[in-house]
Amino acid sequence: MFSKFFYTLKDKGLEVSLSEWLTLQDALNQGLCHSSLTEFYYLARMILVKSETEFDKFDMAFDEVFRGIMSENEVGKNLLRWLDKPEMQDVFEEMRHEMNQEVITLDKDDIENKFKDRLRDQNEEHNGGSYWIGTMGKTSFGNMGGNMGGIRVGGTTGYQSAFQVVGARKYRDFRNDKVLDNRQFQMALRKLRQFSTKLDIPETELDINGTVDATCNNGGCLQIVMEKPRKNAVKLLLLMDSGGTMIPYTTLLSELFQSVHKSNHYKDVKTYFFHNCIYSNLYKTPECENGEWIETEWMFRNLDSDYKVIIVGDAAMAPEELYSATGNYRGPNGGLSGMDWLLLMKRHYKKIVWLNPKMAPGHAPWREAETAIKGLFPMYKLTVDGLNQAMMKLMVNR
Amino acid sequence: MADTKFSSTADYVASEQLLASVNVAIALQKPLLVKGEPGTGKTMLAQAVAASLGKKLIIWNIKSTTKAQDGLYMYDTIQRLYDGQFGEEGVDDIAHYIKLGKLGEAFEADEQVILLIDEIDKADLEFPNDLLWELDQMEFYIHETKRTVKAKHRPIVIITSNAEKELPDAFLRRCIFHYIDFPDQALMEEIVRTHYPDVEDKLLKDAMEVFYWIRSMKDIRKKPSTSELIDWINALQIGGIPTDRLRQELPFIGVVVKKDEDLETVKGRTD
Repeated sequence: MFSKFFYTLKDKGLEVSLSEWLTLQDALNQGLCHSSLTEFYYLARMILVKSETEFDKFDMAFDEVFRGIMSENEVGKNLLRWLDKPEMQDVFEEMRHEMNQEVITLDKDDIENKFKDRLRDQNEEHNGGSYWIGTMGKTSFGNMGGNMGGIRVGGTTGYQSAFQVVGARKYRDFRNDKVLDNRQFQMALRKLRQFSTKLDIPETELDINGTVDATCNNGGCLQIVMEKPRKNAVKLLLLMDSGGTMIPYTTLLSELFQSVHKSNHYKDVKTYFFHNCIYSNLYKTPECENGEWIETEWMFRNLDSDYKVIIVGDAAMAPEELYSATGNYRGPNGGLSGMDWLLLMKRHYKKIVWLNPKMAPGHAPWREAETAIKGLFPMYKLTVDGLNQAMMKLMVNR
Repeated sequence: MADTKFSSTADYVASEQLLASVNVAIALQKPLLVKGEPGTGKTMLAQAVAASLGKKLIIWNIKSTTKAQDGLYMYDTIQRLYDGQFGEEGVDDIAHYIKLGKLGEAFEADEQVILLIDEIDKADLEFPNDLLWELDQMEFYIHETKRTVKAKHRPIVIITSNAEKELPDAFLRRCIFHYIDFPDQALMEEIVRTHYPDVEDKLLKDAMEVFYWIRSMKDIRKKPSTSELIDWINALQIGGIPTDRLRQELPFIGVVVKKDEDLETVKGRTD
């Protein structure tokens, strides 16, 4: 049933699996949508879509299959005010029964066209009539009316009509057409681990060998020995470029940032921000406001060389930003050029990788700064593959 | 299955869509995954379902250290070793030292129960995958005793997530999904009234106005949620604060706004 819908969903980029589709068929067989299009909409959505970010895609596919293109839905403010009659609810309950018996089914387009015409002609409030748009009426338009096949204007009662929900495209803001899934990033970051038992955590695991030894030494009387579970000892330092040229990659960067912070398997994670290049200060917030910072030297003193460093940036500095001792147009240089600061980084930390969201493929001498930095640090493109390679690089011994 | 139909209860107001989701999940015998902003009543939902259907609720709270195995069973080796020393009775029977976890408990129950797996996203990334078979087949195998624990009555499984982590696709495919929208003013009023039926109209109106006003601020770090509004209204009622200067003075605002930065933002805009 509805196999066209299935393929339209796929076309819109929704990963609907066959098993989910069969579940929907099963639900339909059980009559869970009560032969109502609106309930079918919710039923299909709850079974086929598993993230609010995908609701919008679903809405669009639903709209395409079950109706033509949406037309204008503009409803004037006045109209909504005329319709806003909560006190009519009680009266409505009484009348609902008799009215339901004379429901006339109309063609959707027909109703919509008439609605628009009527909207144009109407200039005052109408309630209870059978022609104008108003509450309690029997026309196909308005609020709390008895005609089930019509257009409901505003108001909140239980289900909204499926097409109105679709038209509202309420979940558009949730949508993010990201190529990379947060989860993939997290899985890549998982690679960064080094198990150690030398951490300061409670001893919660039974040390079998130790117990056997201790028991034997104890003349056969049982003596339990516990040990610390093996834990990841990796410490991570994330430095992110938050400069103007990085703005197109904001979503990507925040994905990476979130993935790093959700990865609770590191011993420690520190994040600082910089603008275009690293100088004497690193910012605590992505806004990079002067004052909200730490000194880079402080970082050298306090974060020892065991920290594995990931620098994220587009490495598109102007030559003077990299080579001039006064090249930082936004804050202090600290007497050294950007390049010198980067060299200090390299000297201090054993493991550094650079992730670049817009790295040129292969050798690109025209990108001067990028080429220079590639000479200092291994650089990878900020993709799942690139991140995986970078993590491998951080783990292997030199 | 006609008797197992969930409806709003006296102290839980669910939207039509949520009711439908719960009932579909029950009918299709699939776990219901509920996602939404913190404080929109995800955990309360399971309690309401249990109350509405008159079934027992088993809650499995997930923490960052929780492993899938914890929910199935635990083999208390150390207790057995100690008991073995002194030749305690029953030491030769491993079954004595097998303790069922929450999932095991739900399977072994003599009647259908509601199993709430709360905040599944708190756990390790692999956690949901480790439960696929158990939730699909509703059974698991205890290696130590070579016994298969099979659900006597398929429990109704409700899983909540705060979307801190993405869940694996294989897991998602098996669930019915519902996203709890933040309630609009009308629904919110209804929700507050189920908690405090005799709340003054004026107080409720003014408090909600301030609440939605705070939520509408773009630069607020943590948006206040339903449960915070409910607490605030309670505090205002107990405190007997005159409502006329609610917006200017913001009494007990700490109940609604929890972060220092946010407090300053809100206070800075009261004038």
